[in-house]
Amino acid sequence: MENLVIQTEKLSEWVNEVIKKNKVFAPVKETDFSNFKIIDDYSEIDFTYLLPRVPAKKILFKQTETLFLFTPGSKGSVQTKEISDEKLVVFSLRTCDAKTFSILDPVFLGDYADPFYKSRRERSILIGLSCNKPNVNCFCTSFGDSPASSDYVDILLTDLDGKHLVEVVTERGKKFIDNYKKFFTSASKEDLDSKKKVEEQAIKGITRTMKLEGIPEKLDKMFEHPIWYENAMKCIGCGTCTFVCPTCHCFDMQDESTLREGARVRVWDYCMNPEYTHHASGHNPRPARMNRVRNRIFHKFNYYPINDNIVGCTGCGRCIDYCSVNIDVIDIINKIGEAES
Amino acid sequence: MVDKELLVKTAKKIVSREDVKYVVGYKQGTYGFVISPSFAYTPEDVDNFIYNPLCKKNLTVYPILEEKLPLRREEEEDKRKIGIVVKGCDSRALVQIIQEKGLTREDLVIIGIPCKGVIDLKKIEKRFPNQTEAVNVVETDNAEYILNISGAVQHIPKEELLSEVCKSCEYPNPTIYDFLIGEKIEVGEVPEYSGLKNLDETPLEDRWAYWEKHFQNCIRCYACREACPLCYCKTCMADMLEPQWIRRSVNLSENTAWNIMRAFHLAGRCISCGECESVCPVNIPLMELNKKLEKDVKEMFKYNAGLDTKEKTLFGTFNTEEPEEFIM
Amino acid sequence: MTKNSEGTFEIQNPYQPLLAKVVKITNEVDGARAIKTYKLVFQDEETKINFSFIPGQFVMVSVFGKGESTFAISSSSTQKDYIEISVMKHGKNTAALHELEEGDIVGVRGPYGNTFDVKGWEGKNIILIGGGIGQAPLRSVLNYILDNRDKYGTLDVIYGARTSSDICYKEEFAELEKRDDVNVHLSIDVEEEGWNNYVGFVPNNLMEVKPSSENAIAITCGPPIMIEYVIQNLLKLGFTEKQIYTTLEMRMKCGIGICGRCNIGNLYVCKDGPVFSYEQLKGLQGDM
Repeated sequence: MENLVIQTEKLSEWVNEVIKKNKVFAPVKETDFSNFKIIDDYSEIDFTYLLPRVPAKKILFKQTETLFLFTPGSKGSVQTKEISDEKLVVFSLRTCDAKTFSILDPVFLGDYADPFYKSRRERSILIGLSCNKPNVNCFCTSFGDSPASSDYVDILLTDLDGKHLVEVVTERGKKFIDNYKKFFTSASKEDLDSKKKVEEQAIKGITRTMKLEGIPEKLDKMFEHPIWYENAMKCIGCGTCTFVCPTCHCFDMQDESTLREGARVRVWDYCMNPEYTHHASGHNPRPARMNRVRNRIFHKFNYYPINDNIVGCTGCGRCIDYCSVNIDVIDIINKIGEAES
Repeated sequence: MVDKELLVKTAKKIVSREDVKYVVGYKQGTYGFVISPSFAYTPEDVDNFIYNPLCKKNLTVYPILEEKLPLRREEEEDKRKIGIVVKGCDSRALVQIIQEKGLTREDLVIIGIPCKGVIDLKKIEKRFPNQTEAVNVVETDNAEYILNISGAVQHIPKEELLSEVCKSCEYPNPTIYDFLIGEKIEVGEVPEYSGLKNLDETPLEDRWAYWEKHFQNCIRCYACREACPLCYCKTCMADMLEPQWIRRSVNLSENTAWNIMRAFHLAGRCISCGECESVCPVNIPLMELNKKLEKDVKEMFKYNAGLDTKEKTLFGTFNTEEPEEFIM
Repeated sequence: MTKNSEGTFEIQNPYQPLLAKVVKITNEVDGARAIKTYKLVFQDEETKINFSFIPGQFVMVSVFGKGESTFAISSSSTQKDYIEISVMKHGKNTAALHELEEGDIVGVRGPYGNTFDVKGWEGKNIILIGGGIGQAPLRSVLNYILDNRDKYGTLDVIYGARTSSDICYKEEFAELEKRDDVNVHLSIDVEEEGWNNYVGFVPNNLMEVKPSSENAIAITCGPPIMIEYVIQNLLKLGFTEKQIYTTLEMRMKCGIGICGRCNIGNLYVCKDGPVFSYEQLKGLQGDM
């Protein structure tokens, strides 16, 4: 749509301008990792880590959300939860985190739109930042994406050493950037060429590949394959893989109240927990770890493709990075590709 | 160095027995420094077993994770034993669970490994990022690790990569085993755990700020609970709805409640394997809590968990000499 | 519903229930596995008039402060101005429901899920096969058919419970037995003094009744294991996969296909079900 340039020393000025009128989320340094947080000043942003520990889904689909308020008890009543109209900016999104929303949209904006997700989605500007040095378990390229992809953001920044290329991708991004014209100049052909080089370099840095071809269809025939037992034996049933996953969207709903007031809240839930599907009657359709590990992989690589024509994985690699027992989704999918069905 | 051949030979012998279902040990993981648990059902499966200083994972969580699914008609319960590879701390977990009657001694065939300490994966991955290829690590006799990374041999002082809990390990030798791989290690003077200053020494406000910062990051994935061999309650108090001890909302207050309650439930039971801390995806220094309680228990009750299956648990005993200042 | 400050758009909040008053409570079964039926009337006049559903659909019912659970609507859509649900005491929320008195307020969301094809089944012989509390969704179909009796062929109701005191809707079954346009076949699992009907499991009673598959539709609901054997036996009796329907239960939270837990394969029981033909079920690969 429009290609601009901002001098890197001007970046802080621009972002601080943006902060004045928007709630800006950006990676902030924690003890020894970074996480998306609301920032008050550009200086809080931490560019040293490639990916914030908890993915950007948490900004639009919060881990804890109040759905409505109520007066508890048998003479109860309900009060609607007001939804804010603050403008949101998500800054420094990587491709894999930005793609999250194109995968979550069919879920949250389907037959019944989720008002909280929908409202935030409409209120937010996604500003991407190209990766220049991918992590060991990065594999977005396996999905045909690029670490410098502008496909899923409104605006994409690429660090060109001294200046940043600013690709304005969407109408919404254009409207947004027009408020801050004084910070930008037009990009030259050389700038675009430099970006290509950065992109090529980054792609070279991605060493692991998931061979996806034919996998969704092949899985149809592999529901009863020993590979599920092999991996599930290792699984300890924690929620790490689901909570750090940019596309896992399951949640629980619970009432939290005092004597006089209460709220129904939803919190992220994890399908690796036996309680997750446990019926009140005692029956559990997924009683073993095998059922649960299999369901998670099928959900992403078979059910998602069937229902929404997209693979439910963005290749961020977090589930591999933080699994303590080396359940490695790249390895699983590649073994499925090789296995006899 | 642990004799791999002897380990494999022993595991093969065990897995060949009719009364053994499988042996769980370690194998090379799918990338870099990562080690994977390995389940061997046949002698051939044992061939991929390895043992090196990266084998930190406490495998004793697995016998408890065995699902007891409802039996179909004419199906019989599989009562075969589980073979398991354990280090000193891991073996103490088994002793503790047996004391608590969570497992019986007869459920297990135990391969013990005297342990010189294991590498903290977070430390080594930080030092050598982006390792795709498997890396073999060998410990020398003069407190060094030798790493062969893409053809370049690196000598790293052991101190720099060793897990913090291992530095104050009192029980490197398995306290329970059927087979021992290698010679027992002599235990000299053990330095005190160095991470207690955030609970003991710093001013109250700083202490609170420190823990607040960490608990705020907790995502309540319960990896600490699931990885802990001693967190095996059928229904965890965190999952109970009636009464609901801890709300599901993820915020500082509930996160603090969760982490502190868990620490207290492990008082006199924690065996310092450090598993909770190493699996935590947001790096909460959980061992500092556990070690503080371990120290208190030791001072007040002269009690060390997981040493002898015939001993009673701390909370299963009472004597009139015990301090009681903390009782209202 | 909520407005933003400019008041330009309104967002429906599908998680927020409407209020309904409990106008009548019927004790169906006593004891540890107690069942009660609740007649609910929406508080809001507009909803009271406009709320419509088709047998097979379900609602989410809350006791505020205790939680929310899924219940099949057990009344028929021909019965206007109210809905009924039957509740077995199992967990935190159902225990709270059992504490309620007439006049109390609950939250209701719905109706959700797909429906029995009651219109499409006109002219057919209908066989309802239920077990325990699984009769609830079948009762909706049953009453719908009774209110449109001339549009359907023969009507058989096969129902079983553990003991005679576990039978749900006892009085209604007693009334049904007096009618000559419906055949009722009751059973209990074990012998009991004074029981004159069949003793044994529901699938076995089905083989005793031996309904003809000709121009028939069989609908079954009950414990998973009962459904499994009923379907096997229906097939033995010559029913085709297209003539057999069931309605499934799964743990649900949102009821609207977002929260993720009720899937069987790629289908969500809450929005692609809960009603499935055996033809669909057979092709389904998933944990049930």
